Amino acid sequence: MIYVLFAILVILIFWVISIYNFFVSTKTRVGASIQEIGNQLKRQSELIPNLEASAKGYLKHEKGIFDELTSARKQISSAVSSGDVNKMADAGKMLSDVLPKIQVIVESNPEIKANELVKSLMDELRDTSDKIMYARRLLIDLTADYNVKLVTFPSSVVAGIFRFEKLKGLETSEEGDKLKVTEAEAKTPKINL
Amino acid sequence: MFYILYMKNIYEVQRANKIKSFFIVTFFAVFVALATYVLVRALGIYSGYMPGNLGIVGIALFVSGISSFFGYYYSDKIVLGISGARPANRNNDFVFYTVAQNISIGAGVPVPKLYVIPDSAPNAFATGRDPKHAVICATTGLLEKLDRTELEGVIAHEISHIKNYDTRLMSVVSVMVGLIALLGDWLMRASWFGGKSDDDNRSSTSSIFLVVGIVFAILSPIIGQLIQLAISRRREYGADAGAIEITRQPSGLVSALIKISSDKEALEVANKATAHLFVSNPFKDKNQGSVGWFADLFNTHPPISERIKALKSMA
Repeated sequence: MIYVLFAILVILIFWVISIYNFFVSTKTRVGASIQEIGNQLKRQSELIPNLEASAKGYLKHEKGIFDELTSARKQISSAVSSGDVNKMADAGKMLSDVLPKIQVIVESNPEIKANELVKSLMDELRDTSDKIMYARRLLIDLTADYNVKLVTFPSSVVAGIFRFEKLKGLETSEEGDKLKVTEAEAKTPKINL
Repeated sequence: MFYILYMKNIYEVQRANKIKSFFIVTFFAVFVALATYVLVRALGIYSGYMPGNLGIVGIALFVSGISSFFGYYYSDKIVLGISGARPANRNNDFVFYTVAQNISIGAGVPVPKLYVIPDSAPNAFATGRDPKHAVICATTGLLEKLDRTELEGVIAHEISHIKNYDTRLMSVVSVMVGLIALLGDWLMRASWFGGKSDDDNRSSTSSIFLVVGIVFAILSPIIGQLIQLAISRRREYGADAGAIEITRQPSGLVSALIKISSDKEALEVANKATAHLFVSNPFKDKNQGSVGWFADLFNTHPPISERIKALKSMA
């Protein structure tokens, strides 16, 4: 009888340890993915001026694109210096919206397409924005895992003992401006044929 | 026809895959235990050495284990040695290198070591005993023919093999298949030489064991291998679903699979020992469509059309 109790106790201790380790390691990994987002954003803010400098000569009449690129860069550097994850993720998204537009222009312009430097800068920028997307996704998944374990029984008991707190992670689209539909968006678009 | 109409999401597919995979692996374990028991009993009768049943299993396990152990522990080096691969670097293989980095970020695993095999047939494989010692190889053909999104699908497929410990499972399974094959072989040899005991010494149970033992000796290595292949195919579906969980873009892997399968070249560096590692069957089957499920039984990979169907249902 005493052996059975002892065996149960040992299993219980191992279980508590594994749950504890889950919370601690997930927290660390969340931190690492935030770090990754920050690193890639910094890289982007270094790459963008290079792209602007090397492509500007070809794209004199594409001023709109450069304005978007510049404002993306400004948002990125302010997000990086603020250290706020949500701002960083949004800034990353802004660049990944601008990039396809530049890509279209590059593809349609044989002169600029032949420029190796522009090509490699575009590749680098696409890569950094992909990395941000994946790090962002991992961050969301990890926080979700963590927060679910935090409130579900029986892992919630362990979380309670060691006082693990809810992770904020990224703000989901449950709140904020993303969900609001502006009047302009609600209007039926007019199409002139 | 009703299952085609019923669309499953990624998580349901993964769950179903895990359950099926679990059943096949359990069935395999039961089969190995049964075959070992029968073969060892029959061997014991021939050798007249009844209490040594476990001893025989021990020797067989040791022999079959030792070869696989090296295969398991040094699989990366062995495979790389065979394939003539060179390490990838960021400058020469920018897309491959960065895509692998990105998918690793998404999957939350360390970036595997990356190698390029100079071969124009498009294919890729993963090996290594755990995520920390993982290796991904891609052929130059694959890197040239696929665009970035397609390559993401293929790399994500390989990374989910790594994440699911498929290479480890397949190593254990092949030790077991080797064990049965050895025991069967020994029994056949023992029966050839007749053993030392006389006919009238044998009880009816021992003769039943002898007959059943011979049947097992002939059939079980084949059956074991077929189950091994079934496990391998099930794991391919699992890796496809896992890839979609990482990239969330079934279209990339689908179009990569179409490109890979429509390529006529066979991979020169592949052999039977490494076939299950690749993203698609490296031996292009010449008899596709004509033989149906019987030929499928002997394949390490499910037919591409089936995989594409499964992927599209997740879209």
